[in-house]
Parts: sequence; C-alpha cells; structure tokens
Amino acid sequence: MSYPPQPPPYGQPGYPPQQGYPPQQGYPPQQGYPPQQGYPPPQGGYPPPQPQQYGGPQAPLPQTAVGGPVVHDAHTLPANDNVNPYAFSVDLNGQYFLQKGKMVAYYGNIQFHGIGHGPLDQLVGRSFHSPLHAADWVVAEGQGRMILADRAFDLNSYDLEDGNLTVRSGNLLAFDPSLSLKQSIIPGFLTLIGTGKFVAASNGPVHFVEPPVRVDPQALVGWADCPSPCHHYDHSYMRGVLGGIRQLTGLGGVSGEEHQFEFIGAGQVLLQSSEKLMAEINTGHVPNEAGIPGAGAPSHTPQQYGGQQLPNVNIPGLGNLGDLGRRFGL
Amino acid sequence: MPFTKINGKMVEAQVLPGQKVFSQRGAMLAYSGQVTFTPNMAGGQGGLMSMIGRRVANEDTPLMTVEGQGRVMFGHGGHNVHVIDLAGDTLYVEADRLLAFDGTLQQSTMFMGSQGGVMGMVRGQVTGQGLFTTQLSGQGSVAVMAHGGVIELPITPQQPVHVDPQAYVAHRGQVQNKLSTALGWRDMVGRGSGEAFQLELSGHGAVYVQASEEKL
Repeated sequence: MSYPPQPPPYGQPGYPPQQGYPPQQGYPPQQGYPPQQGYPPPQGGYPPPQPQQYGGPQAPLPQTAVGGPVVHDAHTLPANDNVNPYAFSVDLNGQYFLQKGKMVAYYGNIQFHGIGHGPLDQLVGRSFHSPLHAADWVVAEGQGRMILADRAFDLNSYDLEDGNLTVRSGNLLAFDPSLSLKQSIIPGFLTLIGTGKFVAASNGPVHFVEPPVRVDPQALVGWADCPSPCHHYDHSYMRGVLGGIRQLTGLGGVSGEEHQFEFIGAGQVLLQSSEKLMAEINTGHVPNEAGIPGAGAPSHTPQQYGGQQLPNVNIPGLGNLGDLGRRFGL
Repeated sequence: MPFTKINGKMVEAQVLPGQKVFSQRGAMLAYSGQVTFTPNMAGGQGGLMSMIGRRVANEDTPLMTVEGQGRVMFGHGGHNVHVIDLAGDTLYVEADRLLAFDGTLQQSTMFMGSQGGVMGMVRGQVTGQGLFTTQLSGQGSVAVMAHGGVIELPITPQQPVHVDPQAYVAHRGQVQNKLSTALGWRDMVGRGSGEAFQLELSGHGAVYVQASEEKL
C-alpha cells in the first residue's frame, strides 16, 4: 500500500483506517459493533468472508458507510439532529414537548405524560399559555435518545435565538421547553417565542424565501419575524366581457391561484414544496370577547382545514358534475 | 430558459415580460414580482381545433398561463419534479405529468396508434397513457412530475432500453417503442413475475423513468 494512503479504488477492500475513526469522541472502545463508519483496523488476512449478522444485506464492509443501511445504537444516534430526512433524534435530558403520537422509538429511560397531570400542571402556565390546546401535547421526561417521525414527512429542526416563528399547527412536532408556545392571532397557527430548538414537519423539503413574496395558502408552513401576512386576491382576469361571463357562470374555470398570502417586511417565509397540507391540530378556543379574531367561532376541527385540501381544479364552476365539466371545457 | 430546481419537489421559474409560461392549475406555490395567473381554457397552445382535439383525446390537463415579471415557484402534490431542456427535439409526455413548460414550446397531441399501429394503442393502454399523448417540441424547458425520483436512460441504436410501463414517465428523440410481452403459462395461472409487459424503446434519444410504479 502506497503512502500517503490514497482513497482505495472503488470496491477494493483495502483500508487505511478511514478518517472518521473513531466515530465519536468519548465513544466507549467498541464493545458491540459500530457498523457505521470506522472499522477495526485491518487484522491479518482481512477480509475473510465474515458472516455478518448486522443490519441488512451483506454489503462488502467498506461500503456500509457509503451505501447500505446504517445501523444506529444509543451512542451513534445523532444528538438533536436528523437521522435521515424523515426522522429526528432528540438527545433528551430533562423535558421535551411533543405532539401526541409522534414518537417512534427511544433509548433510555423516558416517560411520557399528558400535560396537566399532577406536577406537570404548571407547565401549562409556563410553556403553553393556554389550557385549551395543551391536551394535544405530551411531555417526554427522562434521559435518552428519542426518535420522532410523522408519516414520512420531511422533518426539520429550527433554532430560534430570542426570536419568534409562527407555524401551522399541524406542522409543529416538538419543541424545547425553553420556548414558549402561544396561539397565533391567525387561527390555525401557533407562535413559538424565545430561544431554543423545535422540530417541524413539512410535505416535501422546506424552502425559505424572503419577502416581498406572495404564497399559495396551502404551501405556507410558517414565517419568522415577519409581520402578519395579508390576503391578496387576483381577480384581474375577471374583467372584461369574457371575464364577466366567466365570473357569472363559472365557465372557463379558475386558475386555482386567485388567492395568496402576501408577506412584506423583513423576515423569512417557510414554504413546503407541495400543496398537500398536513392535518391540522386544534389550537383551542379563544375567549369570546369583542375584538378578538375568531372569537366565539367554534374552534375549527381538522376536517375543516385538514385532510385533502388540494383545490379541485377538475371541477371549476359547475359544482358536482364530476369530470363532465372538464370534458366539455366548462 | 427558465426553470431552476430548488429541491427535489420544487422548481423556480423566471418570468419575463412578453414570455409566457404554462403551468398546471393550482401548482403555484409562491411568487414575487408582478405575475398573473390566467386559467387557460384551451388547455394549452393552438387554436380552437387544438383545444377540441385535446378534449377528445383527454389530454386537456387544466393549465394556466403565467405572465408578467418575477419569479414563480411551482410544485404539485408532493411529486418529484424533473426539469428537461429541449433543444429542438421532441418530448412525449402524458399531459397530467406536466407541471410547467415554456411558452416557446410547441404543444400538440399525438395519437398513440401513429407510433406502431394497433400495438401502439395497446401500449398506450398498458402504460396508462391512453390512446393519445402530448408532445412538446422546440426550444425550452419542461418541468415534469413523477412519483419518486427520475432517472434518464439514454437510448442508442445498439442499446435498446426496456422499461416497466408503470415506471415510464416520458421519452424524447427519435425513438421507436414497442410493447414486448413475456407472457407465459405462469401468467395464465396467476403465478407470473409481475413483469409480463415491458416497454422496449430503441433508436436515438432518452427515456425518463420514475423510481416507483405508482402512476400520478
């Protein structure tokens, strides 16, 4: 083997111990087996065709780190980072808040309690600020690594530093107790304030855009630092004779894009790359007082907003004639 | 021109004055600048006859015309997006898969039977294309949707490509395609491999294949 060690030609199982070994600092000298990167230095006569009892098909060893399935254990799971685009690993030491049903696995000693039980009652005041939606949240308490996932949606973590971020209620998965969660004035949204980390899901990767921008309502995940969005309606093509006919009869259809949310000012807008919304969770009632948006209205249920919100572009004006309208160009 | 991929499921289009972009209705995610979205009754380009042709052929995916000046982001249904640049050649694609395309491209409807007669029609049924498919030709870009990622397989005269009809997305170039069957007695008794039909593409060009057998 020549020196300095070259990256071995593809498929050749010669190692200089790869960089990245040992895998992590403070890692106990491998008892067990860290099948991830970092292999025991070559011992004589390597490779013998080893029977491999660890994860996955018997890929040749050097490639496990590149291609094959990566096997994690309690130590190699990332701390407060994504395991893959769809799973997030929390290094729990203390408390963490998560939406019901989003934990898929954990190592260690963790208890899950509903909020409002016994000593956790104070949390409502400290972190949730409203007793009304806190029932949808679970407190994870203890030490260990906890994996969160939600129906294979893309997960991302966001760090807030003395900031604020408003997010669609269904998209928020979990957050640090150092953040406080509040109902947004805009129904169906929640605002996180403070310093800390939270995890949010999105249908497709999240893309950040800076205002001024107009956003399809279904593609909006949330926004940071911007003042509240406003509605923008685009009815210019409704003008003129043809537009009038179209407006009166619904003939000709709609573009499906007549209505957007408009953002202005400094900040960031978070978009998901699909218009399929995630089911919304209840954000609770607001007090029935004068001057409060949405007051008195029954808190919207997931059926109202959640589920399949793709605008049904196939049925423009003619109600429920099904595909007929489209067939005849109505 | 103008499609930039932002991530696997999202493209951004630069819209300039006087240049149209057609997109599937409801596929806009966000935009900045002054851009208008007008439903396109004709479902694309051409005159009244093209429109009727498309409707008869069921290739009339609801489109909208995007005009103005600004940047528009498109994405739809969480499907993966693939941008294909055309330089004077022709792309054959099912209209449902079109996310957006340049207004400079010529859009027309093709009868499947014109590529291979009766077998072409059978092929259309198997691939889910139906009897007709859409062709786009000229200079410009097309953003095509697929379920799962898209890979491009080159087709050369020496190397025909076999594709699972359900994973077929689109093809371009001078390509002859035929349906090859590998039906045997096993299929008759319900013990087939599930790969009895394959699409064989030969000639010069490329075929786009999605990493899934789920249709849009």
